[in-house]
Amino acid sequence: MKKRILSLVLVVVILVFSAACGKTDSVPQPAEQGSSGTTEYRDTIKIGVDVDPNTLDPRLQTNVTVMRVGELVFSGLVELNEKLEPQPCLAESWEQKDATTLVFHLRKDIKWHDGNSFTAADVKYTYETILDKDFGSAARARYVPIKEILTPDDYTVQFNLSEPYAPILTYMDHKIVPQSAKDNPGFAENPVGTGPYKFVSWSKNSVIKLTANDSYFDGAPATKNIEIYTIPDNTTRVSALEAGDVDFIHSPLSPQDIPRMKQNDKVVVHQTSGLGVTFVNFNHQSEILKDRNVRTGLSYMIDKDTISRDIYQSMDTPANGPILPASWAYSEDIKDNPYDPAKGLQILNDAGWKDTNGDGILDKGGKKLTVKLSTHTEDPNRMQALEFIQNSFASNGIDAPVSTFEWATFSSDLTAGNYDISIVGLLNINDPDRGLYIQFHTGGGQNYGKYSYPELDTLLDKGRSTSDQSERAKIYQQAAQMINDEVMWKTLVFQGYIAMYNKNLEGYTPMPSGQISAMRDAKVKR
Amino acid sequence: MKSLFLKRLLNNKSAVIGGVIVIIVIMCALLAPVISPYDPYTMNMPDRLQGPGGSHLLGTDQFGRDLLTRLIYGAKVSLQVGVIAVGLAMFVGVFLGLIAGYYGGWTDKIIMRFVDIFLAFPIILLAIAFVAALGPNTRNVMLALGMVYWTSYTRVVRSSVLSIKEEEYIMAAITTGASDIRIIFTYILPNALAPIIVMATLGLGTAIISESTLSFLGLGVQPPTASWGSTLAFGLKFIRDAPYLSIFPGLAIMLTVLGFNLLGNGLRDVTDPKLTRK
Amino acid sequence: MVKYVFNRILQIIPVVLGITVLVFFIMRMIPGDPAMVMLGQDATPEDIARIRAILGLDRNIFVQLFSYIKNMLMLDFGNSIFLRQPVLEVIKASFPATIELAVTALIISLIIAVPLGIISAVKQNSWVDYTSMAFAQLGISMPVFWTGVLLILLFSVKLGWLPSFGRGESIIEGLKVLVTTGSGEVLLASLKKLILPAASLGIMGSAMISRMIRSTMLEVLDSDYVRTARAKGTVERKVIMKHAFRNALLPVVTIVGLQFGTLLGGSIITESVFAWPGIGRIIVTAISQRDFPLVQGGVIFLATTFAVMNLLVDVLYVVINPKIRH
Repeated sequence: MKKRILSLVLVVVILVFSAACGKTDSVPQPAEQGSSGTTEYRDTIKIGVDVDPNTLDPRLQTNVTVMRVGELVFSGLVELNEKLEPQPCLAESWEQKDATTLVFHLRKDIKWHDGNSFTAADVKYTYETILDKDFGSAARARYVPIKEILTPDDYTVQFNLSEPYAPILTYMDHKIVPQSAKDNPGFAENPVGTGPYKFVSWSKNSVIKLTANDSYFDGAPATKNIEIYTIPDNTTRVSALEAGDVDFIHSPLSPQDIPRMKQNDKVVVHQTSGLGVTFVNFNHQSEILKDRNVRTGLSYMIDKDTISRDIYQSMDTPANGPILPASWAYSEDIKDNPYDPAKGLQILNDAGWKDTNGDGILDKGGKKLTVKLSTHTEDPNRMQALEFIQNSFASNGIDAPVSTFEWATFSSDLTAGNYDISIVGLLNINDPDRGLYIQFHTGGGQNYGKYSYPELDTLLDKGRSTSDQSERAKIYQQAAQMINDEVMWKTLVFQGYIAMYNKNLEGYTPMPSGQISAMRDAKVKR
Repeated sequence: MKSLFLKRLLNNKSAVIGGVIVIIVIMCALLAPVISPYDPYTMNMPDRLQGPGGSHLLGTDQFGRDLLTRLIYGAKVSLQVGVIAVGLAMFVGVFLGLIAGYYGGWTDKIIMRFVDIFLAFPIILLAIAFVAALGPNTRNVMLALGMVYWTSYTRVVRSSVLSIKEEEYIMAAITTGASDIRIIFTYILPNALAPIIVMATLGLGTAIISESTLSFLGLGVQPPTASWGSTLAFGLKFIRDAPYLSIFPGLAIMLTVLGFNLLGNGLRDVTDPKLTRK
Repeated sequence: MVKYVFNRILQIIPVVLGITVLVFFIMRMIPGDPAMVMLGQDATPEDIARIRAILGLDRNIFVQLFSYIKNMLMLDFGNSIFLRQPVLEVIKASFPATIELAVTALIISLIIAVPLGIISAVKQNSWVDYTSMAFAQLGISMPVFWTGVLLILLFSVKLGWLPSFGRGESIIEGLKVLVTTGSGEVLLASLKKLILPAASLGIMGSAMISRMIRSTMLEVLDSDYVRTARAKGTVERKVIMKHAFRNALLPVVTIVGLQFGTLLGGSIITESVFAWPGIGRIIVTAISQRDFPLVQGGVIFLATTFAVMNLLVDVLYVVINPKIRH
């Protein structure tokens, strides 16, 4: 009989031992009983994000958390402020020698976290690897006009462009990595940067721990440690904030959590317009959508206002086109088709689509008006918007089957042009070019709907090469109107940016881009 | 014989309670358009996220649709998915079990290796992989679940076959020259039927839970179809302001599965010779 | 006996191989590929083709399969495409979290199920029996993620007692800290994060196990062995504890071993609900990212673990078996 109990115990012990053999590689949590430094403030700020980074190498990022960590661990040649204007960072000054030459003068007093000095060679290495097709950086498309990079001395970098490229300075905020990364295969897991915080540990899908870089060139950060927690579910993340398990969270958030948090007097809710758009992408290669009348008719059946008000609870505001209100290129005069289903139906009827057989669905020449709707499952708001649009379409005689996939399949369908109408988003549009060029130019890498309009191409090319900002603004406004008229995208909403944080978090101002570099000046009162 | 079976069944508390629940669910599924107070697809944004009570007995969802109606229509979807998934699993599993048990030898070895492979790790992971591969929609969920649950039938049928094979009347049939197929279907299968039916009944419960799990992971039935699983999965997003959206579909799933489990247990009690002794 | 063990170990090999092939083909069947996901929205078709070539995805599928198996035999499971780390490292880092969850859930299940099962069997057909079995039935009828959500709703949202996501330091780490510094803080924090996910899994587990304990106990109580003990005039309590339960324990060990597989399956879902960084969550994420090496490595690892567990249970069963029957 002893043997029976023994066997059960044996099984459990074996399992416990295998758990013991692998402990998490993070250090024990620092005691929060202010033994070091001031007792008034905590020595750790806890941030909650929605996805675990895919890597900690900024060149290889495919999700936003990599950027957030990058904003603390690394620095760029410039840093963008709330107005998206480049400010000196690693570069103390720069000059545009001519339309295709940009020179940066670097600070001389900067050290990497491993003690080596920061020099122009690091900048050259970073951008060359980004441009290297075999390296696989998703950012490459933004930097293609860079023809060559010269380093006349240790603290000067010269970028020679193949053609004038107006947005280049804005794009120069990309984080710089050290040359030593070349021989360091573990760099993506153990980054070395020049930023205000040093990397300590990364427990996958759980937490990233950073500690202060006391020799940061702009002064040591105000709080000793930062911990970044991965909490995928929007509502769980908000609960974590309410419970005090994290001090700061920001978009993406579920709109229904916002009013409740606004009433919570322990939490500050900061709401502003953001740098993203959510849009309905019409595939111009799809048989049924090749006819502009069909696209226009459908466009009248999409109720942006209700979607914004009820599904997004006004967290995101109705859009009039692909240019953000935060952008200098924005204009209220850009017009889009309003919600008028009767008019939309009329347009479809006039185009030959009528319900000839009484089954409730429009048809023409024996074929039903079938439009496939799709989006990705990770975003519950888009899923709801999709269902809502499906309902509008169905009530007006359109057969609209829905398919939703997780991002991997969804994006590969988009790239293959295997869709009719999809709801997608675009983030981080810090220059109109970034949100328009590769999306609408013939042959553009993100031009999923295969739009090819020569006048639009001309506009987009001119937008890149013109240096006068008010000129560029006019060009992009024209482009936006054309995009609306031809129904390439119907931009649904402008994404809001919401930051929620513990009211004891001081010294931090949220930025619409979601950038958290200012955390280096923040601290949390006990 | 049959009336004795029925009598015993009706005396079994478990079977009766389970049976009643199952019948209610089936009625909901069949009579959905008749008994629902509202239309399950009409959106009514001003009425969204209303709590239970008033004109909406169980409240409304994020589009203002009546929850009770959605749940009644959901019964249809859940049952459909369950029945087809189990049917598929049964068809494949029973067939493989029959030939594995009857022919033995290499056929048996190969089939049982396959069973081992499928049972070698969490079934749900396999279902996830299958649905991800085929694309998330109702049809593929049924296919994936069918492809994943066949193994239990194979095992059960095979052991039934192995024990029945040795019976005298089988020997007799073989010596009189009856064909294999005839033997399998006329003699062996009917005797193995009881455990199959029990498994199928219990399997319906499992299938319904699996469908809701797949929906929870975003791999299930597509909108606007009203499956319990997807309603629950989406209701979770509103758990603080509208907890009833997660509670009621969960209750529906739980009660239905309970019904099938009780019915299955009752059937097992009634048909299993070992337990009828007491 | 040794021959038996050896045979059983050999049997695992074709199974693991079979799983490898199965998963390999399923993953390749899924539309979308890692190059696409890796390069994100900014990619051009040429970039994607280039990266696919680098990852070796453009080779013939059987070539890929054979090369994978060859590496696997040398315990090289390749690198995760997205985490850019050896798959084995990723698994080593996340598996302990799953084990911690599953073992704690198992312990909770047993604590609930054993007394429940025994009492139900002993007092068969009493109201205690009916109530406990009713609870058990309810327990297995609830989807495990729903149980988790309800617990979050009650203990995190309404009562605010417990955190609703993530994992603290491992329990082992917490114990070490306790022993070395006398501070129970780390251990307490870890336990607080562990309890809800373990409880939701544990409730499901206890529902299953209690029914099985009850039915094995019933059989044993009815057996000749026990009748003899009763006839000899042994005190009822002793009959139950010393004879019946100990005999029922053996099949229970088998049952527990088998249930562990279901627990592992349930833990995959629970990990998603509670943001618990275990291997289940890693695999589910890897599936959506089409991170082939990670999915394959993770699934093979899980399957092998399960097979080994079954092996252990079978071996223990055989070791003990001869001693019982007399």
